[in-house]
Amino acid sequence: MSTHRLECPDTLNQETGGELLRAVHKLHLSGGDELLFDLSGTESMDSPGGGRVLEIADVVRARGAALRIEGQQGSVAGFLDIIQPALRAPGPARPRRSGFLNTFTDKSYLYGREFREFAELCVDALYWTLLAPFEGRGFRWNLFIDEIHEMGVRAVRIVCLMNFLLGLIIAMLSSAQVANFGLSIYVADLIMIGFARELAAIMTAVVVSARTGAAIAAELATMKVQEEIDALRGMGLNVAQFLVAPRLAALLVVLPCLVALGLISGLLGGTAWGVTMLGFYPQVWWAETLNAAHLRDFIQGFLKTFVFAVMIALIGCHNGLRVEGGSRGVGLMTTRAVVMDIFMMICVDIVFAAIFYYALA
Amino acid sequence: MESLAAENRKSPIIAVRDLVTHYGQTKVLDNISLSVPRGVVQVIIGGSGCGKTTLLKHLCGLLKPSQGEILFDGKNVAAMDEDELAVMQRGIGIAFQSSGLFNSMTVGDNVALPLHEYTRMDERLIQAVVRIKLGLVGLSGSQNLMPSELSGGMRKRAGLARAIALDPPLVYFDEPSAGLDPIIASGLDELILDLNKLLGITFVIVTHELDSIRKIADRIMMLDRGKAIFCGTMDEAGTSEVERVRQFFERRPDEYMAQRTI
Repeated sequence: MSTHRLECPDTLNQETGGELLRAVHKLHLSGGDELLFDLSGTESMDSPGGGRVLEIADVVRARGAALRIEGQQGSVAGFLDIIQPALRAPGPARPRRSGFLNTFTDKSYLYGREFREFAELCVDALYWTLLAPFEGRGFRWNLFIDEIHEMGVRAVRIVCLMNFLLGLIIAMLSSAQVANFGLSIYVADLIMIGFARELAAIMTAVVVSARTGAAIAAELATMKVQEEIDALRGMGLNVAQFLVAPRLAALLVVLPCLVALGLISGLLGGTAWGVTMLGFYPQVWWAETLNAAHLRDFIQGFLKTFVFAVMIALIGCHNGLRVEGGSRGVGLMTTRAVVMDIFMMICVDIVFAAIFYYALA
Repeated sequence: MESLAAENRKSPIIAVRDLVTHYGQTKVLDNISLSVPRGVVQVIIGGSGCGKTTLLKHLCGLLKPSQGEILFDGKNVAAMDEDELAVMQRGIGIAFQSSGLFNSMTVGDNVALPLHEYTRMDERLIQAVVRIKLGLVGLSGSQNLMPSELSGGMRKRAGLARAIALDPPLVYFDEPSAGLDPIIASGLDELILDLNKLLGITFVIVTHELDSIRKIADRIMMLDRGKAIFCGTMDEAGTSEVERVRQFFERRPDEYMAQRTI
């Protein structure tokens, strides 16, 4: 048990403190020893100097020794008072990393719980959208109309543009192959069948998901962060009725309309290629296009849109309401909503394709 | 040389001259003049919507006035370009009403940010200084927490810890005690007084907590609807002839409230 003495110079700052720290590292301190820190000659001290004192205290503590500070006066004494709380407190606890099995079961539980919350939201939202208004239980018509304008009317231009360009590109790509066999006119059939069954629905749904799905998620997430959801529930109002149902209803109305416009735009895109580059007469192209139109294809394409509408609205609301962590969380949940939307679309598409191919062929 | 230092000590750290500012067409600050000597605690008070926070944002260089000058150490903040403004802002600390902490970083990283950006301290020393600042505001051990895991009062204190990270000569504090319980609030008052006496930090504080004001204020300026209606010490405020000032300190409601007959 020995006492070591360390004299501090008249100024304790980053540099002089650094030298003292190096001196402490070189000392042979062991358990039970004491380091006496003599500040009687010190006249001034600043925050980095105080930081150095803390570092010295850490080293001393790590070696099992004790630190005693003596001789402080004037402003230095006051400064030491300021760093007392930090000197006394131990460092922050390091988070412990859990093993694989723990992480796996934790995550499984969390996913299971999330799925259950999503299912509950689905049932609630579908009730308040499709059944409650007819039971006279209240529906926010004003928000419904506003959302139809925002989700539908304001999306028309981009939906039509995207579908037109897609029609053009597909006509361009396929005609290059088919021209070898002199079958260019069948590109019109391809465009009609492709857009009616799949492409109009998918392309439009992707655009709407990026626009509307993200907007719903971001808006609800921000409301959650700003305690607006708590305020709503505290007033006894139902979140599904107040926030989700008007948006879901609007999307159910708007998405099929947008898909119809998208379909027409896609056909126009294909026609633009067929008439200008392939040299067909417009009447001929249109006749072939309409010839390829079958009710079954339209049904397949449009039934999907209702499922897409429900999913986009619910996934957006679900993710928005689950936000945690402030502004960063809003960004994360918005991204998550759009990614889930796109993944969902592919899955639904596969299911419909399977049903129509196998069951109804 | 010595007299120059003495001169500097006597010149005010902040001097506002005839400040006028608008939001759109509305005049929100009307001919405000203020002189803050070094080392004082200057408190700005006033009713809601009188322009206190707007004034504070002008002093920090976050907003530009329509007319007038804001002199920080003799240089006009309102006329500074981006680089000069950045240099000035390194010398001040700002603690916002809603803390202004970055949600994507831990509390420790938030407080360490000015140290990383503006000093050449090594990482261990930065962490030690962060511990000091957090210990000062009563948040020891919270380095690894995210701001969203803290209560409102704790976030405010973390914001103050970040504001004093670089030991700035001037700290602006917007509503320090709002939302804090009396114990923490009085601890914060003590901290402000300690930092003021020990490190000579000048404080410009926007508040309306009367207990705090009585304890910490060296000088008070009161705003009412964009105009400065009082400038002076606590004692002068108590005997002021301006009705609104006395009403504020005596905590009396407006006439229309007093005339209710419920």
